[in-house]
Formats: sequence, C-alpha cells, structure tokens
Amino acid sequence: MKHYYNRRDFLKTASAGTLAALAAGAPLSGFLSSCSGKQAGADAVILLWMAGGMAHTDTFDPKAYTPFEKGLDSNRVLSTFKSVPTALDGIHFSEGLESIGALMDKGTLIRSYVAADLGHILHSRHQYHWHTCYEPPQTVAAPHIGAWIAQELGPKNPVIPAFIDIGQRMTVGEAEELKAFHTAGFLGSEYGPFMIPDPSSGLDAVKPPAGMSFSRFERRNQLYNDLLSQNAVGDLGSDYQKESFKRSMEQAYMLLKSPEAKAFDLHDEPKESYDIYNTGRFGLGCLMARRLIEQGARFISVTTEYEPFKGWDTHEGGHTRVGEMKKLIDAPVAQLIKDLDRSGHLDRTLIIIASEFSRDMVMEGRPGAEVKHQVNQPDVINDIKNYGMHRHFTDGCSMLMFGGGIKKGFVYGKTADERPCKTIEKPIRIEQVHQSIYHALGIDPQKHEVIEGRPFYTTPDGVHKPELEFFS
Amino acid sequence: MAFFRYRKVIVGISILIVSIASVSAESVVADTLASAEEGWWGWGFLGRFHPIIVHFPVSLLLIAAIMEVLTFRKFQSSLRTGINWLVFIGAGGAIVSAFLGWLLASSGSYGGDTFAVHQWIGIATAALGVLVAVFLWMAIRQKRTSFVKAYQALLLLATVGVSVAGHYGGALTHGQDYLLSGTPWASGDGELLAGIEGPSTPVEWQTFASLDSLDGEQEMNLNLAVRTVLAHKCFQCHSSDKMEGELRLDDKELVFKGGESGPVIVPGDVQNSELVRRITLPPGHKEAMPGKGKPLSDNEIGLIKLWIEKGAPWPDQAKGIFRVAPLAPRQPQLPSAVAGLENPLDLWINEYFKKNELPWPTVVEDRVFLRRVYFDLIGLPPGPQQLADFQADTNPDKRKLIVEELLARDRDYATHWTTFWNDLLRNDYTGPGYITNGRFNISDWLYRSLVNNKPYDQFVRELVAPTEASKGFIKGIEWRGAVNSSQTTAMQAAQNVSQALLGVNLKCASCHDSFVSDWKLDDAYAFANIFSEKPLEINRCDIPTGKMADTRILWPELGAISAKGTIQQKSEELANALTQPKNGRLYRTLVNRIWAQLMGRGIVSPTDEMDKAPWSQDLLDWMAVYFVEQGYDIKKILHLITTSKTYQLPSISVEDPATINTDKFVFTGMLKRKLTAEQFADAVSMVVHPIYSVGALKYNPQGDSIAFTNANSFVRAALVQNDPFLTALGRPSRENIISVRDNQGTLLQAMELTNGALLNETLIAGAQEWVAGHENPKLLTEAIFKQSFGRAPTEDERRIANEILNNGMDTNTVQDLLWAVILLPEFQFIE
Repeated sequence: MKHYYNRRDFLKTASAGTLAALAAGAPLSGFLSSCSGKQAGADAVILLWMAGGMAHTDTFDPKAYTPFEKGLDSNRVLSTFKSVPTALDGIHFSEGLESIGALMDKGTLIRSYVAADLGHILHSRHQYHWHTCYEPPQTVAAPHIGAWIAQELGPKNPVIPAFIDIGQRMTVGEAEELKAFHTAGFLGSEYGPFMIPDPSSGLDAVKPPAGMSFSRFERRNQLYNDLLSQNAVGDLGSDYQKESFKRSMEQAYMLLKSPEAKAFDLHDEPKESYDIYNTGRFGLGCLMARRLIEQGARFISVTTEYEPFKGWDTHEGGHTRVGEMKKLIDAPVAQLIKDLDRSGHLDRTLIIIASEFSRDMVMEGRPGAEVKHQVNQPDVINDIKNYGMHRHFTDGCSMLMFGGGIKKGFVYGKTADERPCKTIEKPIRIEQVHQSIYHALGIDPQKHEVIEGRPFYTTPDGVHKPELEFFS
Repeated sequence: MAFFRYRKVIVGISILIVSIASVSAESVVADTLASAEEGWWGWGFLGRFHPIIVHFPVSLLLIAAIMEVLTFRKFQSSLRTGINWLVFIGAGGAIVSAFLGWLLASSGSYGGDTFAVHQWIGIATAALGVLVAVFLWMAIRQKRTSFVKAYQALLLLATVGVSVAGHYGGALTHGQDYLLSGTPWASGDGELLAGIEGPSTPVEWQTFASLDSLDGEQEMNLNLAVRTVLAHKCFQCHSSDKMEGELRLDDKELVFKGGESGPVIVPGDVQNSELVRRITLPPGHKEAMPGKGKPLSDNEIGLIKLWIEKGAPWPDQAKGIFRVAPLAPRQPQLPSAVAGLENPLDLWINEYFKKNELPWPTVVEDRVFLRRVYFDLIGLPPGPQQLADFQADTNPDKRKLIVEELLARDRDYATHWTTFWNDLLRNDYTGPGYITNGRFNISDWLYRSLVNNKPYDQFVRELVAPTEASKGFIKGIEWRGAVNSSQTTAMQAAQNVSQALLGVNLKCASCHDSFVSDWKLDDAYAFANIFSEKPLEINRCDIPTGKMADTRILWPELGAISAKGTIQQKSEELANALTQPKNGRLYRTLVNRIWAQLMGRGIVSPTDEMDKAPWSQDLLDWMAVYFVEQGYDIKKILHLITTSKTYQLPSISVEDPATINTDKFVFTGMLKRKLTAEQFADAVSMVVHPIYSVGALKYNPQGDSIAFTNANSFVRAALVQNDPFLTALGRPSRENIISVRDNQGTLLQAMELTNGALLNETLIAGAQEWVAGHENPKLLTEAIFKQSFGRAPTEDERRIANEILNNGMDTNTVQDLLWAVILLPEFQFIE
C-alpha cells in the first residue's frame, strides 16, 4: 500500500471534474491531503556540509583525550580535544562545539553513519555518493538530492530558486569531480543548483548586472518586451521551447526585481546578528540560508567548501585545523538553529549537518575493508603537525539533524570507545539517510524517473526505507 | 399539497432513479454472487447496495444545486418545493449510502489511497448533506437571508463533495485511469514499456478458445499475447528490476516458480491459479492486481485464463515481446520520378505524404533557408553580405550550391560537428577521471577525422580498435577506487559502443536481464568480454554468479570473435565485423542521427533506441544503403538532406515535448530548434563581440605553437572548456553519452543571460565598438537588425529603437538594445 501522496500523482489521477470541484471548494484540498497518508513535517531543507571528512572523535563523538606531547604513540590517540558536556545528560561533544552542544535538546545526534566502501579513497567520489546516493561512475548522470527535491516539490516561493548551493567554488582542485554531482543530471538543468560560491557577494547573483542601475534594468526589460511583442518570428505560438524560454526570462526578471532577492544581501542584516554569523564564508553562508528560508527557499546546501587538503581535509596539522574549523562552524550553526526556532521556521525546516566520512589517526577505510594509506603517519609523534586525524575512516561518522519533525534530544547509534572507533550500534547508510530526508518532506520512497527506458529511483532500486526513529 | 402540484417533477425524478437503479443492480448482483464474506452475510449483502444508493445523493444534490443556481436571485421561486424535496431525499440518501459504504468496506478488503480519499470525503459529504438539510429547514421556517446564504453555500460544497467522492468511488470500481482513458490526455500503458510490440495483430481470446487444440504456431502466439499483457500490466513491480512479493513475471522459469506465497500459476487449473484470483478481484480490493495502474481488460483476463487452461504453453523458442529491428540492410525500390522532385529523398517523403494524405507545403524563403544551412552545416549564422548576395543570386540551383560551398569549409564544418560528436562519444577537454589519469581525450583525432571527412567505416574502426589518439572512447572513465561491476571499463566500452554506434541500450542488461528489451545479462557480458584483458565473470546486480562470460557480438551473425585473443585482436575483429556493409544497424543508426540533428527528430526516435519503429522504414533503409554506396561519406548524407525539398519545408511547432517520441508522430517538416549553447555563443561572438579569448581555447586545431586564427577570427565555443554560461545554455557534462540536449528554457539559463558576467562583459565591449562604428542611431539600428536577423527593422521596431536612442547613442543604451535583440526568439531559434 502506498502511504505517500504526492502532487504529481494527485494531478495525474485527479479528473477534470475533481479539479473543478477543488477549484470550487479550495479548502477541500487541505482536507484531501490530510486524510490520505503521510503528512510531511518539513517543507524545506538546509544541508550544512562539512566537506573533506570531519573526524567524529574530534567533533561530535569524542573519545578519551590524549594531549599532545613529544614521543606520543599514534595508536594511543583517539581524540585530540577535551570533551565538553552538551544539553543532554551523558552526551559530550569535543571542545569548541559548546554552542551547538547547548542546542542538542532541539535535535537528533546520529553517531553511526557508515560510508560506503569505494576502494582507494577519493573525496569527490564519496561526496558524489553522499549527494546522489549512487556510487560513481554511473551509466546516466545521477541527480543531486537537492535536484530531486526541487523537481518533486518545486520552488516554495516561485521567485526563489528551488535548489541553492552556497560556498563551493568550482575553480579548486577536483572541481571537475565536484561538478559531476552538483547537477540535476538527467532531471534536466531546470532543477540544477543555483550556485553562490561566495555568500558575501551573493547579491550579485540576483541583481541587475554590474554597473546597471535598477531603473535602467527596468527600461531594458521594457525594451525587450516591446520588441518581443513586435517581432513577427517572436510570435511564440504553441512551441514548448519558445514558451519555456519566454517563461524563464520572465521568471528571471521577477527574481531580479523581487523584494525577496534582498535575502541574498547580507549587508541588509543587522550588525549584531551579522557579526555572530561572520566566522568566515561558511558562517555567512548560514546567515544567507537563514534569510532565504525566511523568504521561502526549498533546498539549500551550505558548505565549508571542499578543496583538497583544506578545511576538514586534514592530511597534517589536524588538531590545529580542526580547532579552527570548529570556530568556523560552532557559532553560526547554533545561531541558525536558534534564529529559525525563534521565527517558527525550524518546525518546517530540516537541518542536516554531515560529512562524506570521518577520519582516524591510524586506520584508512574501515576494519575489514582497509584501503591504501594516503598519509604517512609516524608511529611516534614528535611534531604537532602529526597530531591529528589524518587518515580517512568510513566506519563511524557523526551527523546531526534539527527541525522538520526530527526528534528533540535524541541520540541514535553508537561507536566503540576503543580503536577502531567504529559503529557498534544501529549502523545507518546513505540510502536510509536520503529516505529519511524524503520522508520528512513527504516524498514517496519509490519516487523515480524513467530514463533511457528504465526506472531510476531516488535511492538505488527504490527499496530503502526511512529511519522512522528519527521522527517524533 | 405540494406533491400534487409538482407531481410532474416528482414523476420525472422517479423515472430517473429507477433507471439508474436498474443499470446498477445488474452489476451489484453479479458482484454479490462473486464471493461470500465473513460475518453475517446480510451486512455484506446490504453493503453491496452502496453502489446503487450512492446515485441518489449524487444526482439529487446535483440537480438541486443546478436548480438553486438557476433561481439564485429568488429563494421563493416556483422551483422551491421541488428543490426542497431533492435536497431532503438527497441528504437522506447520502446518510444511507455512507452507512452502506461503511458496511461494504468492513465486509470487503478495501485499502489504498483512493479508497481512503473516497471514504473520508464520502463521510464528510454525508455530514455536509445533513447540515444542508438543517439550514434549508431553517431557511424555510425563518426566511432569514443568512440562513439562505449558508444553505446555498453548503449545498454547493456538498455537490463538490459528492462529485469528488463519486469520482474516487468510480476510480475504485473502474480503475484510476478510467475517466481519462478515452481522452487524448490519457497516460500511456506504463512509462517503461514503450518498446513493447507484442503480437503484430490484436489477439482476441475467443479466437483461441474456439480451437480444440493449439498447434505450435498458435501456442507461440498465445504465449506472446499473454506475455505482452504481463509486460504492460505487471512488469512495473514484478520483473528483474523490482521483484515485489519475490515474484518475477518476465522469465519463464520464474513465472512458474511463483512468489513468496508459492506458485501463482497452476498449468491447466484456472481455479487454483493465484494469478487469476488476483487479477479478477474487484479493483480497490487490497489483494487485487495490478496494485497500481489500470486493471486488466476482459480480453486480457480471458487470454490469461485460456493460456493457463491450455496448460500455460511457453515454447523454448518463444519470440521476444519487444520489437526488434532487422539487422540486414534493405534497399527498397525508389519510387518513380515525380516532376519537381529531383532529390531521391523527396520521392520517399512524397510517398509518405501521399500515404498520410498530407500536402506538400511551400518551401521557406531564402533568408530562413540560408540561416538554417549555415547553422546546420557550419554552426554559424550568415553575415548580412552573404545573405544579400544569396538573395540577389538568380541561379535556380543556388540553394544546392550554397550547401556545397558550406560543406567545403572544412574547418568550420569540423568545429561545428565536433560538438555533436563530443556529446555522443563523451569526449571533453575536462571532466572527472582526468585527475587520476583514468581518462583520455580524443579531441585531436576527432577534429582531424572531421576536417578530412574520414569515411565512417574507418571512423568506427578507429574508435573500436583504437590508435593511441582515439583510445579515449573505448578506455572509458576510470575514477580512483572500486567500481560497480556494471561500470568496469570493459562494460563501459560495451555500453558506449552499443549506444553511440548501434543505437542499443545495454545499460539495463549489464546488471541484470533487461525488462525493456530482450537483451540478457549474458549478452552484455559476452560483448564486454571483447574489451577485457582477462575473461569476465558474470555479475548479477554486482554479485558474482560464478559463471564466466562468453565472447561474442550482440548479433552473432556478424561474425565470431576469438575468445582467447588479445584485446587488440578481439577489437580488430569486432571493428571489422561491425563495419561490414551487411551490418545495416550501424549505418541506419548513423543516418538516423544525422537526420535528427537536421530535422529535430529522428526517423526513429529516440535515436539511441534503434529497435523502435521508424515513421518511414523505406526512407531509413534507403538512406542507410545510399550512405554505404556513397563510400560512407557523412558529408554526402548532409548534402542529400540539406538539398532536399523536405529540408526546405516550414518548421513545425511542438506543443508538448512528450509527443515527440511517441509512435503517433507524423512527419510534416523539421521541428523548430533552439540554438545550441555553442551556436548561440558563436552567433553572439559574430554579431556583438567575441565571447572567448584565445586563452580560453582548450584545443587548438593548429597546434599549440601556432597562433590561433580562423576565418571569423574569434574563438569558437566548441573548442573551449565548459563553463557556467555554456552549461546554463545546455552544454552537458560528458561523462555519459548525450544524444539529445536539454532544450527548454530554465531559470538558471535566463539568469545567466540576464545578469551573467560573461555575456554582460561581452555586451559592454560590443556596445562600444558598435557606437564607434556608426554615425547615427538610425544607421546603427539598421545595422544591428541586419547583422542579427539578416533583415531591416520593421516600422515598429524602428520606432521602438528610436525611442530609446533619441538622446543619442550612449553605450549603455546600445548595449541594452543588443541584449534585447540577441534574446529575441528570432535570434535564439532556427525557424
């Protein structure tokens, strides 16, 4: 039996008569969706992406702390930071995440994400897998989860693009690989990401081109419409391509002149608030996400940005870098949750904090599926640059979820307290994570597209189920 | 008394009720006999009157509402008493039917969305009916306007309720698609199954039923008919891709094995075949099959019953249910000459038009034609001078001559067609894989092949059994790390050779037996083995089966491959086998692709699925043979098509893109096409200002040491790296074969065109040059229109341009005019 009721199915089965009836009795449509199956808890998503592999033992799942000293045995080190308490009894985070920790009574902490075995580690392949739910390469261009959502639910506010990606520049190393999943793939570019590499200049993406005043922009648009109406060949007729072209031009004009576009303008934010968020590009990305959610955005991804060996991709000096990364994320993530909670948006907005895999000081891959080392980690640490989680670990990663019907103050899964600090309770994989996100949004777990004559599901073969334990 | 005064109305209504009831009664009785339910039988029996009684509230309340609307302004109209009776009986009927419906639901096993919606709206409507009656009663008694208004509003709402509940009730009984199934908006028989052909003529179960015993041929046909039904109605959930209830109905062995609850077919025993029980349950029953989509028709059920009764014959040599195109070339006799049609291609179209009773439309004017051939052959628009010369030319052969002139511009031709081949051969200058040396580009080989117009058989041989320069196609894309067994480079090669060159999709079959074609897992592995150093073990859905793959071509009749040979040896054998003239498939695929590029839709469509039916088998076959006779010369095919009258017909608008790939498509001329990203960028570079500088070149045909120049002295978009501007305009990432690009407008595209930096900077630079180069606004306007469209501005356009330029030619205004012009459909589309 099907528990979900989606917009497309409804339109497909609804007869002309029903539609007319619905038009006549508009309140009925609310009644219809409330009595048939799943009531979605969320209608928007913010994915806060910890790019490069965030070590769980140095962030949301700390283990025994071993301070740095010369001659330290690598094998002894599980965490390079102290633990600090969170709002939940008995649950600790790594030092530097106090603000997020204080909010854990508002969300769910998942400590048992297990990344796939994709062989010799390449970040972009794991990121591709996380974002599309398919292992690369694929025989067709797999869509990003944001594209699936954009296609299924459409924009929430018609002038705000349904899929917005903040913070990733496509000029870094491995950019070609990143592009491979920052795409709507076979769903068509209509559902692809609206890219804002730098949130501090985000407004540029949605204002008239550089050097053009608003009145001139209006005049230019008027001129276009005048010529369009006079152009004999411009007679749009019934051609779908021409119609869609004209419609998209109108849509762009609407967005560029809309008051909602102000949401992209961070200078519009009161200084006190701006300063809390402003820990760097990621923090400002969180601020932009908040402003966009308030204006009706559907899916937003904010990334700490992947660039080989930067950010969370700690191949050396991991302890120092992770300290900086926590400074980058702690305040803005907490503020984002608080702000959305205060404005009432959190109930309908699912926030996810995730990374492609974790890190460990010793093990590359996971127990039973160890892969070629990429970092030369000495057995005995004499230099602080060797003190940190430098190898790629796939068997125990932390993930956080807030809002959109997610349980409050809930901890899911567990990792071992001794090396390897792998998942020992409730392993959860990407397919189930995606299905849980779709579940929160009320999207049918068997949603699929027929591409080149065969069905392609949001998660492979459409057989996966959401983890209902996440939901209150 | 009211009864006597309105007896005509009441008699009329009574007749209506009786006639509705008698129609419904028949089906109710039949249903009642069908099965007995648990509990006291009487409740269930009463419940079965639900479908009759529901007609009362539906029709009575609707009629009441209509009469109420007709007398909307006057509550106390002459119809008042009649309406009152209708409302009271209708409301009563709603209560009774809701009650009976509840009885029916609890005695039967109903479930699902449609049922839930029906149930709750039904109950709500009954409650609403009571409210309507109450308010009406109060309105009659107290005559207060507020009661009247409330009553009227509630009545309208109740009619909406009965209509919606009625619709869903109907959907339960007749299937969800019942209402629309007779309309042009009806959804097809399952989105997956467009390729199923089934028996060539419709098979009626009665024709088989009348036979005492079936001979081999008849068994085969009955089996084929049944499997076609299964494919259409069951495969979506019960086939290799998705085995709901562990049941697969797409494979002989598994059909008889059954699902998790045991066998579903007992040959010879219809009564005990679970499949028959499921497909004959009333729709809406929770065990009824199909669980989604249309129920089986009587004929379909009849065929399955009869097939089981006859022992469920499934001969081992049973035919496939999917259409398979013939492999061998075929040379149909060219139709006899017709005056005015010199091009043989037109003779075929003439036959086609005659058959479809279509007239020949008038060919397009010179300006439209010239823009077409320019864009199609070299990817650039004609300049104003070229157009003027062409229009002035009085040579009756000028259209043919210009085609020849353009085809002779080797470098422009090669640059333009590079884009098409890059998409098809998934070749790009950058992309995933290069970072770990897991990918090789073939740009230089491709460009040289096109410049030299390499014969296509040789072209294919060099792709399949590659040289160092062309190995990228077969080598595929290797990222670091482990990959799924359906994506090994050998399997990629098998998939890409078959899709790009042969119009066969092997992607399904490289993981499991396909259920959208007859290709099997074994076939895909045997083909992939040709490209593998070590013999491949067959994996099903990424799980090793322990069985080693054969080594063979998809069509063994094309020749054998030495199983023990080296890759080099095997691929050479394959290359020779594929390119021999008797492989009609290779050449049909190619000429169809070229046709689709020029005409917007292939003779077979999609162009990657060459087993689909062409709209003209003769034309396709003839062109493929012509191509071979002409020495595998692609330019000859381009020449053939672009010099035809057919190519010169007015272009066609398509309202709904979903209709393009259906087999109902009728060819009446080329489809309107949007410029590709590269065509648009090059056109802007010509008209406004070059978009790309020499530094953007990713492949320099003249070698890196030589300064880049070409006839138009700007960098063409086909030779630069993909960027956000080109991506937004539809240039794909080329990790996968792309044979059709996105061609609809999108917000991202419009944003790139409206405020993107690259185009904006081009326009700023262009505006300065345009201002500097023209004396006054009038001349400037004339020149912009000439350059962009090959025509003078109309009076209105002149006026509009004049209005904004009346303060002189400041660069901002000129920039805006250029922007508006290049975004007009006349610039964006090929008419």
